[in-house]
Order: sequence, then structure tokens, then C-alpha cells
Amino acid sequence: MKQTIPRLLCLVAGLVMIVQFFIPHSISETVFAESLRWVRIISAFALVLGVRSIVFHHGTKVRRKSSGWGYSVVTLVGMIVMAVVGLLGGVDPNAPKLIPTSIGTFSFHMQTLYENLMVPLGATMFATLAFYMASAAYRAFRARNKEATLLLIAAFVVMIGMVPIGSAIWPKLPDVAQWLLDVPSMAAKRGILFGVALGIIGTSLKIILGIERGWLGGGRS
Amino acid sequence: MRLGEALSKIDRRIVFAFMALVVIVPFFLPLGILGRVSRPAQQVFDAVEELDPNEGPLLMSVDFDPQSMPELYPMLTSVLRHAFARDVRVVLMGLWVTGVGLGEQALNEVAPEYDKVYGEDYVYLGWKPGFAAVVLGMGKSIPETFPTDHYGTPLESLPMMQGIRNFNQVPFAISLSAGDPGALTLWIPYVQSRFGQKLGAGMTAVSAADAYPYLQSGQLTGMLGGMKGAAEYEYLVQQAGYSTAAMPAVQAMDSQSMAHLAIILLILLGNIGFVLTRKRRQ
Repeated sequence: MKQTIPRLLCLVAGLVMIVQFFIPHSISETVFAESLRWVRIISAFALVLGVRSIVFHHGTKVRRKSSGWGYSVVTLVGMIVMAVVGLLGGVDPNAPKLIPTSIGTFSFHMQTLYENLMVPLGATMFATLAFYMASAAYRAFRARNKEATLLLIAAFVVMIGMVPIGSAIWPKLPDVAQWLLDVPSMAAKRGILFGVALGIIGTSLKIILGIERGWLGGGRS
Repeated sequence: MRLGEALSKIDRRIVFAFMALVVIVPFFLPLGILGRVSRPAQQVFDAVEELDPNEGPLLMSVDFDPQSMPELYPMLTSVLRHAFARDVRVVLMGLWVTGVGLGEQALNEVAPEYDKVYGEDYVYLGWKPGFAAVVLGMGKSIPETFPTDHYGTPLESLPMMQGIRNFNQVPFAISLSAGDPGALTLWIPYVQSRFGQKLGAGMTAVSAADAYPYLQSGQLTGMLGGMKGAAEYEYLVQQAGYSTAAMPAVQAMDSQSMAHLAIILLILLGNIGFVLTRKRRQ
């Protein structure tokens, strides 16, 4: 029963959505509009589950004093502070609110916290990637055979050709880089896209018809 | 240690220090090379340039977070400057919850430069859960999908939104995306293909190559690829006399140029070391 009902729901929802797509009728349009509303509501519930999952996961780490539990405390405090400031302090700084979001000139409004904590933290995390990429490229990118050498040359041309210094080195270099992207790279991309699209159709049909059951969690597939 | 081994085993701290140097130095000693504007970037500019201020708004979706900000945020601000300078109204939204603040930040930064009024010249719809359901719902009815804007104001009370029902009233949309959900996974398959929406995109450099098939097929009207695309748009907006603001992407292109050269140099050194040690091993 635990598997039959979800599979039946999946079958009915999948078939209804496929059929309605090909029938331009008012009933079909109504079904589509209503289903979109359902999806949005269900997606909102996923957020609740996400918050519950974070609280349980990090709460357990803090309780057991597991390795790195201090970071879990930061995560939980950050989540609670942002939720309280957002829910009670509001999004619009000029609208009436339940709690003040500034003391004198010191603001702790949600947007202020976002711009001064989230933005620099996110940017810092991503900025370190440049160093790891350089190090990884230096260690891993070796011309071990003809194919690897060809890849290496193409990568050099695109890397220099796609930045302004490329045209300063040789004015035709950006054209060569653009050709590599427009012709050989795109041919490969198209092939991959067609393969992926066919794979999506096949997998979707298998899920709708109940052949693929991995999404039920631990079931036979 | 022999030369081959030395070249193929450079300490990673030296690599990191070298990279830091080539990225930081051009900020103080700019090269001032811009290169030329690519065709896909020019196409996005032309599409915004062709918008009639008396017709529907430009729809922009902030589908990125602070991690991709250096590449995509300059695109957002320069397209906003272009639209506002031409009195084109703008509807902003986002599919990434972690990017909602960036949309607000950009509007707070750019709108006052052109004395634009919220609700009359621009609207921020914010974020809604559901990704595909949200954009498909907008194709049916924008006010039903977003009954209120980001600040909780009913959409029907905003003068700018009067008469805007769905994508039929949106002449051009741009998704600035750093991945999924974004231009390639949502806006092209659901909005462009299903509703025939004229669509442009701004992508991070790493995903720009994936967009070329859609440019060739005409599903994408134009594309801004990575920081170079952002720099090109900043340049075009300033050349047309629409803005005199600072151009952060143009400034950062020198660092990117030098970083690319540095990575190529490191790869070459590694390969020289590899060839020398291989000869010795043989």
C-alpha cells in the first residue's frame, strides 16, 4: 500500500499532464492552472521539511558534540536570527513592523544582514575556487596522448581568445576561439543534448508507468 | 632535484601566491584592453534598445546567488541602467531564494540614478517556490502567480502592472542564471518553447558554452557570457551615453586576462616537466 498509492498518484498525474498538453480545451487549461497551484503549494511544504531537516541534523551534532559542532551552532543561530528578523522585521524597511530593525544608525534589517554577511561570505567561498582551479589545472592537465594534446591546444586558444588580451596578442584569435565554440564544441553539445532529452523521456515514462521505483526510496528499480 | 621534477612539482603555495599576484596587480596597474564586443552580447543590447517604452516591460530574472555575483551582478546593473535610461519599465523577479537580496540591492543602487519610482517605473516580484510551476503559471497569469510583490503590495494596486496579464505583454525577458533553475533548464524549455517568449540570457562563463546551441537555433535572442559579457554590456551602455557609472566588469577583465595567461603558463610548465621526466623514465 505504501508504494501502490504513490505509484498510482504518479501514473494519474503524469498521464493527465501529458494529455492536457496536447488538448487545447478550456477544461484542459483549467486542469493545468489548478495543477500549477498545487505544485506551488507542495513546493512550499518542501521548505518546511528542509528547515526541519536542518534543525534535526545540526541539533543532533550539537547535542552529541560531534566533530565541527561549533559550525552547526553558527548555522542554527544564523537561521534563527534571519527568520526572526525577516518574519517580525518585515521585508520592506519603510513598512510598519513588529520589532525594530535598527538601533540609531546601526541597522540589522534583513537586507542589511544579507548584503553584509551573505554576499561577502558567498563571494569569498567562490573566489577561492580560482586558486584551486589553477592548482588542479597545473597538476592534472598533461599532454599524455594525441587526444589530450588536442584538447590542451583548444583550451589554450579558447582561454586566451575569450579574454580581451587575446585580440591584443593576435586580432584573429577571438575568431578562432569563437569558431571552436560555434562548430566543434556545439556539434558535441547538440549530440549530448539530444541524448539527454531522449534519456529524460525514457526515464519519465519509466517513472510514470511504475517501472522505475527508485524515487519511492529504497524500492526495487 | 632535476629540472623536470622541479617543474612538475611546484609547491601549491607558490601556485596560490602567483595567482593572487596576477589577479591583484592589474587592479592597481590596469592594462586597459577591452577587446571587441561579441555578437551575442550585441544582440542582447540591440533587443533592449529596440524596446518601446510605451509597450510592455522588460522582465528580468535574478537566477543567481552571491557566489556568481562578480560575473552576473554587473550584467544586472548595466541592463537596468540601459532600460531605465531609455524609460523602459522593468519587472524584476528571481528563482534563487539566495539571490533575492541581490535583486533588491541592484534596484536600490540603480533606480535612484535615473529618478525611477517604484510601482510606476519598476516592480520587484521577488521569489516564489515551485520553479517550473512559477514560470509556467506566469505564462497563464502573472497576477495569479504573484498576487503581491516582494514587499507584500497587491500587484493590482501598482500602476505599472495594470494590463500586464502574462508573457503576451512582455516583449523581452532576460534570465541571468548561474545554473539550475535558470535560462537553460527553465526559461528556454518552459517559457521560450511553450509561450514563444523572446528571451535573452546572461550566463556564468563556465555554463556559457552550453547556451550556444540555443543561440544558433534562435531560441535565445542573445547572450552575455561570463564577466566578458558583462564588460561588453557595460561598455556598450557607456558608449551609447546611457551611463557614466563605474564599470566593475571592465576593470576586472584585466585580472581575468592575466589569470588565464597565468594558468596557461602553469600548465605549460607542468607539461615541460612531464615531458622531461618521461624521457628520463624511458
